[in-house]
Amino acid sequence: MREVYVAGIGITSFTRLEYPLVEIAAYPAMMALKESGLRKIDHLYAANMGGGRINGQTGLASAVVDNLGLTPAGAETIENGPASGASALKEGFMAVASGMHDVVLVTGAERMRAVNNLEATDFVATLTHPYAEYIYGVTLPSLAGMFTRLHMDRYKVTPRHLAMVAVKNHGNAMFNPFAHLHQPITLEGILDSEDAATNNPVVADPLRFFDCCPVSDGAACLILSTAEVARKTGKPMVRLSGVGQATDTLCVHERDNPLELPAVRGAAAQSLKMAGKKPSDVDVAELHDAFTILEIVESEECGFFKKGEGHLALAKGETGLKGRLPINTSGGLKAKGHPVGATGVGQAHEIVLQLRGEAGERQVKGAKTGFTVNFGGFGNNVVSLCFTREK
Amino acid sequence: MQLDILGYQCKKCQTISYPYRTLCRKCGHDAFDPVPLPKKGKLLTFTQLFTLPGDFEVNDITLGIVELENGVRMTAQLKIDAPKMGMAVQGKVEVVRQAGYDKCRGMVFYPR
Ligand SMILES: [Zn+2]
Repeated sequence: MREVYVAGIGITSFTRLEYPLVEIAAYPAMMALKESGLRKIDHLYAANMGGGRINGQTGLASAVVDNLGLTPAGAETIENGPASGASALKEGFMAVASGMHDVVLVTGAERMRAVNNLEATDFVATLTHPYAEYIYGVTLPSLAGMFTRLHMDRYKVTPRHLAMVAVKNHGNAMFNPFAHLHQPITLEGILDSEDAATNNPVVADPLRFFDCCPVSDGAACLILSTAEVARKTGKPMVRLSGVGQATDTLCVHERDNPLELPAVRGAAAQSLKMAGKKPSDVDVAELHDAFTILEIVESEECGFFKKGEGHLALAKGETGLKGRLPINTSGGLKAKGHPVGATGVGQAHEIVLQLRGEAGERQVKGAKTGFTVNFGGFGNNVVSLCFTREK
Repeated sequence: MQLDILGYQCKKCQTISYPYRTLCRKCGHDAFDPVPLPKKGKLLTFTQLFTLPGDFEVNDITLGIVELENGVRMTAQLKIDAPKMGMAVQGKVEVVRQAGYDKCRGMVFYPR
């Protein structure tokens, strides 16, 4: 396999965007093309989950490749639920690694604020089992609520630990101009004060409002290429050095152990192994914190902390910006936002900034190895990526 | 009309799948016998959900995962005032969602 490098990156603000989905997807691609100086690509992947259902836009990649004037390059839309973004990067990786293409543009985009929050939640819930989960009113927050309750019971994770994830990630997002929520929060405000119950109502008990990510529009892009192409851009050399993916049962109730996320474990182990890295080599990680509990449990499944100890490491500040392993420096899905099809590419964008040393006030000093987990469904389809800074 | 929620027992390895799948997850076999599932079980976990899809005309619902007496698990609605993990529950097939003109039937668990 050939080595695969990042030749250019781009991102929109994750927020409410009043533009057609095609233009949202094209915007960060334009930035990435400009940054790289490239005028031609071999192939384009567009990651998106809801265009057909929410925006009445199917065939997104075909529209984007034309919008960018990049025809006759090949183009495909990749849908893998909220892991569409990392899946599209994985496809791009394979296309360059295999020798089939030299330059592949991957843009992830979503415009889900075109509908109200309940409709958006219902749209995402359609990825659950149609008659064994969905008909009951099962939504992603409800699955996360049931999962959280098990962890509270077994490992003594408390509402305070969950709130610490939110406070940390909202704090990190204050340093990210592209983040959806620029709203510093405190444990006092969302947990301890008299107003906490009003500020932070129950969504899917024991999860509260600030345990859940916002519904965002947004897009992010990475151009993947051979080393030769990437070197000509003059940017620091960042290599996509590992990809991994694993699946699990669609119904959460069928999991052998409902406390575990084996697909996260499998995907993470594969991407680290391909990169020739150990969990302890990772300097900065973006984990899929659609719900606060997920950051904690994923940090364990990836091997960063022992099972049942992720919340303890968090409480000690080990995952903060100045900690041993900063997690979700971008603000995470929690505060940077979660435009589902764009999220995996957005995570990769943050890691590339960190490894280039371009992350501004949230820069992790000397970061050489970065890592992402992008979670499709409730842990039933997980893609993990590993990036390394090269000379 | 008698309606029930069924499990699907693999004709080769006897593993019961719920819901139905085309090939057995344990042994890969492709033939199953529909089997009634026990209605008694214990509650593994639950949540009271306040942000509901628009077609629900209630303020909140309670959802849970129940382990039935034969070890098969299912996700269902609960009609239990103060649910507790591990409590004994009894299921009944009821309308759980009205989508347009269709009544969706599913399992609802009560305290036992
Ligand atoms: Zn079998």
